[in-house]
Formats: sequence, C-alpha cells, structure tokens
Amino acid sequence: MIEVKNVTKSFDGFRALDGLTMTVPAGAVYGLVGPNGSGKSTILRHITGIYRQDAGEVLVAGAPVYENPEVKAKMAYIPDDVFYFLQASVDDMMRWYRGMYPDFDAERFAKLREVFRLDEKMPIRRMSKGMQKQAAFWLALCMRPEYLILDEPVDGLDPVMRRQIWGLLMADAAERGITVLVSSHNLRELEDVCDHVGILDRGRLLLEHALSELQDNITKVQIALPDGRPLPKDLSLVHETVSGRLRTLIVRGDPQETLAALQTCDPLFMDALPLTLEEIFIYELGGNDYAVKDILL
Amino acid sequence: MHTVRWYQLFSINYRDPRPIYEQITDELRRMLLTGLIAPGEKLPSVRELAQQLAINPNTIQRAYRALEQAGYIDSAPGKGNFAALRPPADAARRAELVGQLRKSARALRELGLTDAEIAACLNEGGEET
Repeated sequence: MIEVKNVTKSFDGFRALDGLTMTVPAGAVYGLVGPNGSGKSTILRHITGIYRQDAGEVLVAGAPVYENPEVKAKMAYIPDDVFYFLQASVDDMMRWYRGMYPDFDAERFAKLREVFRLDEKMPIRRMSKGMQKQAAFWLALCMRPEYLILDEPVDGLDPVMRRQIWGLLMADAAERGITVLVSSHNLRELEDVCDHVGILDRGRLLLEHALSELQDNITKVQIALPDGRPLPKDLSLVHETVSGRLRTLIVRGDPQETLAALQTCDPLFMDALPLTLEEIFIYELGGNDYAVKDILL
Repeated sequence: MHTVRWYQLFSINYRDPRPIYEQITDELRRMLLTGLIAPGEKLPSVRELAQQLAINPNTIQRAYRALEQAGYIDSAPGKGNFAALRPPADAARRAELVGQLRKSARALRELGLTDAEIAACLNEGGEET
C-alpha cells in the first residue's frame, strides 16, 4: 500500500503540492490523472524518495520512503525522462541493477530479449526516445518489484509496443499482485488497465475511486421531455446540455435509480449511456472551473 | 507459422459505448453459444486473457463471474474455467435482446416503416444466416 498523507511541497514559493492525501491499495493498478501542472510528477518523485516533502507523510508498505533503501529495493520507477549513466548500455545497467535489486530475474531478462529487440551494447542515451522507454521497461520488469511507479510510461512507444508492455504488466498484476501507480494523459488506455483512479488538481486530490465504482456511480442520459415538464428536483445533476428538446444530462448516483426517477417524467425519448473516463475527467474538472474554453482564433 | 488461439482473435472496440467488461462478457457468450468454444473446453486463465487483451485482470474476472452466474461457464477451484456442458436457458439475456429489438422496431416506426415492413426485415435477416 502507498499512503500519502497531507503532503505539502513548495518550490521557490510555488505550492506544487497542497495538502495532498491519496491511498494506493496493495495490488491495485492506480491511474493518476490531472491537468498539466497539477503535481502528478511531483508526487511520484516523493513516493520514489527523490524529493523530501515540506510537511506530511509518504509511506510505502507502511514505512517512510525518503532515504530508506529497504523500501526502495521493493520499487521500480520509470520517470518521464529516463536517465542512465553516461555511456551505459542495457547490458551495463542490467549488471548494475542485478547488484542493487536482490530479486533481479536474469532468466526473465533473457526471455524478454525476444520482445525488446534492442542492441544491448548500445549506450542507452544514443537510442531514440521510444527505445529508451523500452530499455527502461525491460530493466524494470526484471527487477520484479512489488511497486512499480510509472510517469507517462508509454509516451513515445509505438502501438504494438504499448500493447505488449501493458499486457506484460497485466500478467504481473494477475499473477503476483504487483502494485502499479501510473500517471498518464491517455485516459482511453488507463480505462483498460487501471482498477483505481485518482484525479489531481492544483496539488490536491479531487477524487479517488475504484474505477468500476466511479463508472457505476454516474450516468449520461439523453432525454426529451414533454413541453413544460421539469426534471425531478432531487436529481444530482453534474452537467446539462440542451439542444432543442433534447437534453444530455450527467447525473451522479445509482444509474438504475436515476433512470427510474426520470421515467416518472413521461419522457418522449430516453437513452442511458455509460461514461468514459475521459468524460468523467472533463466533467469533474469542469465543476472545478477547468474546462475547454470557447475561443475563436 | 505460429498457431493462434481463438481468444487472440477478439479485441476491444473503443468506439463501442458498452463498458469493457460487458464487451468481453458479450463476446465470450457469443463464442460459447455458437460453439466456437466447445462445451467442456477450458477457457484461458485470467492472467492469459489479461495479458492478451492488455486489460486489467479484475475486469476479466468480472466478466468470468457474470458468465458463471448466468450458467455459461463452470469454474473449478484451482483448475480454471470451463465452458458449461449444457448452455443455460438464459431468460435474462433473452429479455435484454427482446428489449433491444423493441427499441429498434420503435425507431423504424418513427422512420415511417409499417409493422409488415419491419417483419419482412426480420425474415431477410433469417435468410442471411
């Protein structure tokens, strides 16, 4: 389990994290999303023990992370910009990590050679961005970590490689119950692989839920009501767009109950649609005055 | 040449409004009912399917549970999931599909088709298969 409790961090007077509290349950695949500059990378750097918080606590497996090699040995981290020693090749880094991580799996490393067709002798820094990410996954998957922290992990990877890597991670999640914390803007992809999601906004957590719970708790309804017929009063309306007689409603609460309540208004037409994670993201942040602006250029 | 297992043939349709677990449930149900997965055949493990589809294992588990509850698959603890020897008389599924058919019929009526024309469409569909 990863616990972040009321963490605050300022850089030069700028409050990057503002009392952030979040919990990643053990064995979860947790997607961390949020607008640019909301603090995603910053909190990941606290969870991996790179930054020290100004206030609050960061616990992994119950222990503080900062300067704690024992906890860090259970973690692998792929930052948004991967960095390795100057001139180091995949082969050099493999030997380095084998020394650092007691569970490093050399057999797995050999097996994965077939997946990642990289030149093991080539300095990683000379590789393309996508190949560098591949190298990072190859090494991280062999560390057999209990916790895998990924910052924009598939940025720069081609579609085949993305699918391949997510597949390998899902197998690890099913088999070993690895805890994955991943930040990404690719909500479509997160929806497939995550079971938990947290939305960050301006250094705070806006919401945190199991994904199934999140999607079972909000409904999109397209409805046309007879003229002059109002919507039920007790509806927990998140968003409404009206075009002519047709309204699109985003309603919080149990979908069955929402539909039953709307049925009492004798709709001329009614259709319920599930919400995608992207829609949830947009509507939740829209209520927090972050929305697509109508600007004509 | 390498052999392709049947479950490698299906993929998630991202433009489909159904949630992923429902898509997986529906697809597996179709394969079970049409005999593409033979009665008694072992289904891939949750791990295999999660890796193959790059989908969270809990989602796969949820689909398997739904199919088990509806009687399409039997799960033997420690052994895996198997296609049921006798497919169930799935009243819930039938009601759901009839509901969808009614909805389509209503939409067709709104477009001005008569009930006789709609019935004719159903017969055309019958000849295709």
